[in-house]
Amino acid sequence: MTEGNILESLGSEIVGIVTPVSICMLLVVLLVQSLTPHGSDVPVASIAMLVYDEQPTDSFTEKLGGAMLNALVFVIIVTVVTFLLVVLFYFRCTKFLRAYMGFSAFMVLAYMGGGVAVLLIQNYSIPIDAVSFLVMLYNFATVGVLAVFFSKMPIFVTQGYLVLIGVLVAYWFTMLPEWTTWVLLMAMALYDVVAVLLPGGPLNMLVELAIERDEDIPALIYEARPNARHIAPLPNSPHPVSISSSASDSAAQATQIPPRWRRRVVTAPPPGNASSAAAAATQLPSNVVNEPVNNQDTVRPIGISALRIESQPQPPGQAQALAPPHSTVVMDGLETSSRTAGRSEIINIEALLEDVAGNGESGVLSAAIKLGLGDFIFYSVLVGRAAMYDMTTVYACYLAIVAGLGSTLVLLTVWRRALPALPISITLGVIFYLLTRFLVDPFIVNLSTHYVYF
Amino acid sequence: MTFAGGLGYALIALGPAIALFFTVIVGKPFLILTLIVSILSWLISLVLIAGVWRAFLPGESNVWVYIPLLLSAVCCQEAARRLFWHVYLRVEDILDKIAVKLSKPRLHAVDKLEIALAFGLGHGLAHVIFFCVALLTPSFGPATYYIPSCSRMSFFLMSALTGLGFLIIHTFSMIIAFDGHADGKKSQQLFAPGMHLFATFATLVNLVDGGCVYGVSATLFCALVTSAVCWKIQWDKTGADPFPSSSLSRTHH
Repeated sequence: MTEGNILESLGSEIVGIVTPVSICMLLVVLLVQSLTPHGSDVPVASIAMLVYDEQPTDSFTEKLGGAMLNALVFVIIVTVVTFLLVVLFYFRCTKFLRAYMGFSAFMVLAYMGGGVAVLLIQNYSIPIDAVSFLVMLYNFATVGVLAVFFSKMPIFVTQGYLVLIGVLVAYWFTMLPEWTTWVLLMAMALYDVVAVLLPGGPLNMLVELAIERDEDIPALIYEARPNARHIAPLPNSPHPVSISSSASDSAAQATQIPPRWRRRVVTAPPPGNASSAAAAATQLPSNVVNEPVNNQDTVRPIGISALRIESQPQPPGQAQALAPPHSTVVMDGLETSSRTAGRSEIINIEALLEDVAGNGESGVLSAAIKLGLGDFIFYSVLVGRAAMYDMTTVYACYLAIVAGLGSTLVLLTVWRRALPALPISITLGVIFYLLTRFLVDPFIVNLSTHYVYF
Repeated sequence: MTFAGGLGYALIALGPAIALFFTVIVGKPFLILTLIVSILSWLISLVLIAGVWRAFLPGESNVWVYIPLLLSAVCCQEAARRLFWHVYLRVEDILDKIAVKLSKPRLHAVDKLEIALAFGLGHGLAHVIFFCVALLTPSFGPATYYIPSCSRMSFFLMSALTGLGFLIIHTFSMIIAFDGHADGKKSQQLFAPGMHLFATFATLVNLVDGGCVYGVSATLFCALVTSAVCWKIQWDKTGADPFPSSSLSRTHH
């Protein structure tokens, strides 16, 4: 595509990531509205409920205190498991992790997917017999495991399954009691900030380990479809390293499946343009190894939080115009029964900035934006909870979350270091939920029922 | 109401918006982002207005409170529109710079129209979503709802029709306003706030018993006027040749 409208190309990566997030949220809202519109009657056993079992009849302080205890326990477990993950990654126990990942993925799709399917069948009286249901469920789960493990699948299938996994886990989380859910969301947002930004944070350490070793961190990452215009062949692709840290709690929630890392090749701007491109582009965050290529610092902008760019040394004999291949590793929410490592956060906007920085001729492959599945899950949990009150709050929270996502991207270009994607969105989401529930909703209902509009 | 009925009401309110979205906006990611920003800003203005007036919500007894309420609401939103204009100038600048850098064509007049349309559609969509659709979707079920002062139309039909009217008003008055600011025409600049104010106060007719028919008609009439004015302005702008090859030959795929 040579001549194109600027409106058509700018922002396509952001839209490419906002769309699956929206689909995930939409599906969770639909599930919540049809199955549990007022919250779950049966409390779901989970790690988040270890300490305090919330009852609707408890007093305000009891609920708040209990919810905070629950959230604290959850965050502690998440931290511990993340550190375990770091240790395992450090000692390169890849086979074990990989096998466990596969098992966990299958369990999520089969167990949680099956549970949701049974609820749907009951709710809508779908005529299906047990044997067919089991066969279909088994197939569905197996294809899902294959889809997120192997990169030979059509990307649409992989994307679809990742979104489905996000939907299932998020729906299960919405079954937690109300106060626990909200406090948990805020706690995870805080944990996100700490884990990614502090030097001793587990996610930070994981990313740095991965950078040092020049290895992929496998994680559940959603990868938007790349707008490939020109892809140079990769000299060597790394084998996927799977990391799994999954608590053994079977009653618990999600697990992660490491996707295959697709290496994306980004061609650097030709040397002449490098300076202008570099000037326009953003610099790498400080925690990224940036090897100068072509005798000049072609800076590569990087994505958010625990995003890592490896630049491979340029193979000899290749054209000047070919940049070293980048693999943007996005670390995602390894979710375990608790929320662990590298969730959410990572958004890779390398391609976005690459695109903007301009690189007219020698083909820029805009690498896909990647967003950790943990982000999907927590956004959807927030919106799902909002759906249990009213649709007004759903729309308001959706807008707030998308705004948070967008502003996190903007902050990324400003701060140029790994940033967590959860905090801004969750905070905005919670604020808008409260504002909409207590201010806007009565206002709108009053005006509407008098047919007075503006 | 039944699911089919609900879907019908939603389509009444959102039909033109969906058409506009899928023909103009969907292929251009930048416009989608503009739409989202616009919806968000309308929501923020709504939160501000609701925050101020929540404590003084008018009931049956103090109907006159609606007047300052609506006045302040319209002022707030028109201020937002003015802000949009300044934001739009900046955005246009940045986009042109990026276009030059990427050796793509600069913003065409049609592009600017589309951006204005996206802003306006965002406002209109926000209105419809929060005033109509949000109350519609939870109401699927065996019953429906009528308001005592308006026994001829169900609540949902009324809100759908008024929502449709306001959607069109918001969408096209944004284009008119941007045009007016760009060309410096005072009359055009004042059209958008003026029409907004008029349409808003026209809905006060609905408070009277049996007045909802007139209220709806007034709103839809305003919508018609707004779209006609917008059409006229653009028609005049394209000059004597109604279909100049330069502006309309660019395909929207």
